[in-house]
Amino acid sequence: MSDNPRMDVPDSAADEQAGLREGAIAVQLSEQLARLRDHLVEAFPSLEVLGFRGELTLIAPAHQAPDVLAFCRDDPAVRCEILADLSCVHWLGGQQQVHAQETTGWPTYTEDAGPGRIEIDYILYSVTHNHRFRVRAYVSDDGGRIGTATGVYASANVMEREAYDFFGVVFEGHPNLRRMHMPDDWEGHPQRKDYPLGGVEVQYKGATVPPPDERKY
Amino acid sequence: MDETQPPQPQPPRPRPADAGAAWEDGLQPGTPAVRPEAPPAVRPERARPAVRPEHEYTVVGGEWQDLPDAAEDDLMVINMGPQHPSTHGVLRMVLTLDGEVVVDNDPVIGYLHTGIEKNTEVRPWTLGVTYVTRMDYLSPLFNELGYCLAVEKLLGITDQVPERASALRVILTELNRISSHLVWLATSGMELGATTVMIYGFREREAILDILEFVTGLRMNHAFIRPGGVAQDVPEDFDGRVRQLLEEMPKRIDEFGDLLSLNPIWLERLVGVGIMTAEECYDYGMTGPVLRSAGVAHDLRKSAPYCGIEQYDFDVVTTDTADAYGRYLLRLAEMRESLRIIRQALDRLPGGPVMVADKKIAWPAQLALGPDGLGNAKEYISKIMGQSMEALIHHFKLVTEGFVVPAGQVYTAVESPRGELGYHVTSNGTNKPYRVHVRDPSFIGIGTLPVLTRGLQIADVIVAVASLDPVMGGVDR
Amino acid sequence: MGLEKNLPSGILLTSVEKLIGWGRAGSLWPATFGLACCAIEMMSTGAAHYDLSRFGMEVFRASPRQADLMIVAGRVSQKMAPVVRNLYDQMADPKWVISMGVCASSGGMFNNYAIVQGVDHIIPVDMYVPGCPPRPEMLMDGIVKLHDKIRAEQLVERPRKDESMEQFRLRTGWAGPDVAEAPSWPNPEAPAAATRLPVLGQAEEGPQPQEAGGR
Repeated sequence: MSDNPRMDVPDSAADEQAGLREGAIAVQLSEQLARLRDHLVEAFPSLEVLGFRGELTLIAPAHQAPDVLAFCRDDPAVRCEILADLSCVHWLGGQQQVHAQETTGWPTYTEDAGPGRIEIDYILYSVTHNHRFRVRAYVSDDGGRIGTATGVYASANVMEREAYDFFGVVFEGHPNLRRMHMPDDWEGHPQRKDYPLGGVEVQYKGATVPPPDERKY
Repeated sequence: MDETQPPQPQPPRPRPADAGAAWEDGLQPGTPAVRPEAPPAVRPERARPAVRPEHEYTVVGGEWQDLPDAAEDDLMVINMGPQHPSTHGVLRMVLTLDGEVVVDNDPVIGYLHTGIEKNTEVRPWTLGVTYVTRMDYLSPLFNELGYCLAVEKLLGITDQVPERASALRVILTELNRISSHLVWLATSGMELGATTVMIYGFREREAILDILEFVTGLRMNHAFIRPGGVAQDVPEDFDGRVRQLLEEMPKRIDEFGDLLSLNPIWLERLVGVGIMTAEECYDYGMTGPVLRSAGVAHDLRKSAPYCGIEQYDFDVVTTDTADAYGRYLLRLAEMRESLRIIRQALDRLPGGPVMVADKKIAWPAQLALGPDGLGNAKEYISKIMGQSMEALIHHFKLVTEGFVVPAGQVYTAVESPRGELGYHVTSNGTNKPYRVHVRDPSFIGIGTLPVLTRGLQIADVIVAVASLDPVMGGVDR
Repeated sequence: MGLEKNLPSGILLTSVEKLIGWGRAGSLWPATFGLACCAIEMMSTGAAHYDLSRFGMEVFRASPRQADLMIVAGRVSQKMAPVVRNLYDQMADPKWVISMGVCASSGGMFNNYAIVQGVDHIIPVDMYVPGCPPRPEMLMDGIVKLHDKIRAEQLVERPRKDESMEQFRLRTGWAGPDVAEAPSWPNPEAPAAATRLPVLGQAEEGPQPQEAGGR
């Protein structure tokens, strides 16, 4: 469309986007991670594998996640001593708008995103082998429960409390599952997508500025 | 899992018998290493009870009267914080004491919770820099760097970031590391009562903040490192000023060493306090100076380098005492290593642009110094206003909406002064992030407080917490 | 007056108000209430380069009972708000509050569920210092202006802690703040509140509850 080649999106982004389909394995994994992937899939055949930008992601069923974590800690070839991160992403269910560029002029159309779910990601890191990968599990966003990882990694204690506080995911077997950041009597789980940002309108010299989530830009 | 059964606390999983050198034989996860003269652990029936099956998980939490009954057993529960001159910020610790000795420590955080992660979801990608920079406010450039590396990884432009931008990022972040360690030293000294150290620390920090202000315009919370590079090029006298700092700083660090390293009061208070062995560090996810003080030479600048830092020659300093004194010596040595890195980076600073060439991502770009300050270059303005409609549209969209990042999820980590600062960023293909989660090392450090402070006296609790260097902005985000 | 010209040296004439104002502003001890990034700039202001001890203010008292000035430095979250109020109540009169930084003044850039949009929702503020974070010189400018404000304060009768506004009015005969000229926010066009209040002494149901105006 433009005669200016600098305006084009780099090609590699388009290729990788094509490669990111559920269950597809993109080809950017390093050899070390590829061997690791094979080893883990051998031990847990129900794992799905994803690769994106050189990162390995293994999707485990929710009831198996603590076992996978324990295997990753104990198996000598994997030996992930550190649980680097435990974080959640909330994918809303029902009819969702498909986000294209908002100013194209095409009508926004919606598609059914299925039931809402919360994705729980465990980032595992090995000091001895120097590899890092992600184990992912999905739970339902309406009363989702998953086994705790505190028996495997003690650092999961605070991280799971934070995940419970912000997303409402219940970690069964956690010794002390209560709110961490929000006040104890807070209602709602703030970082869910159906929880509003809670900003106020700002008034200044007769003009008003809407809160950040309602502004156009 | 079977929904009808009440949740049972899971037994800890034992480590395998043929574990390598990383684990001690027979060490159960979650239990601390045995220390000499430690009082017996809290009796099981007095410990905080596991969630009883008949209770639902509610937002209210446990009842205070279920805590150990202080009148019966001489265990006293006192509250330390959130407003306390020595707890390094708004940290509240509920201490269960047997006399002066801490039996249990329950940290309560959230007094600085700002909802930064949720705020980044409503603003475009570039504006996220201004939000994340205010989390760990002692090392704002590290926050920015981690975020921008994650965004660049999502965009797939990691190798298109110009070398000059990477070198500048290294110089600025290493300067920030020195200033963060100086604030650590100053506030730790103040919490221990050594107010001279506070004055010294902030005095040296002013020298570094002068340079940062010279380059970025702000003393703190700079918002200088942007996705794709840095915001603008450094001024002309940058080289001279930094070299002047490199001349003076080693002598100042020596002053700290002279004042404190063999000081009998400092030694009495710091040696043997706040011990966390390597196994405990792994179990609790501690990285950074705490792990290195336990003898493990793990540094993300060496094991997962970023911004071309592998071309600079520096050592990963470790001590093997695993106590607060070891961490003190370690941070002093890290300051010297940072000076080494800065000198090398400055010697090899390449020329060239400081932002990616892709015009759809580069923002701000094409700036020039005009009579009224720094702004869009005149040639650029004449092009977008007069010559090319497409360029105007692209400029407009880039400024109002920002660039669009392909859908996906990445995790990048940088070695911040406190440990591994990780960014777990999810994009759904729009101009705003879908989810930004920050793995902050201070937050993980707060999780170690129960095991770090068990068996210590109250004054030692302050020393132990200070040696972890938690920054509450990062803890609460 | 000609008396001032003929005084021997060493004698100063002043008014009681000015003397008390000078005493109060002379060595105002701040309470340690640093929350976030602004706290670091506040510490820098107290450190050697931008010295606060030239005003006698380098002693940051940890106990609120010994402090005169609360510098709310940083963002006040919803969980911290009761703590701020508690600490403010524990401070002894006379006390002043500086709201340092935009987060304390108005919520700053964090317009969301977690941050109180301005600490003046919780405690009365005497001086607002904007900035993110404000430079130490800006904070000192705010402190100097607060000193001027304190020195100019008139000795007034204030409601006692256990006294209601009605009792206060009966004790002192105060007729209420002069709201006729005050703009009513958010709508400047609305009639001022004073025109809707009953005249004191002739009300059927007693005085309307109003906020204490000026301190």
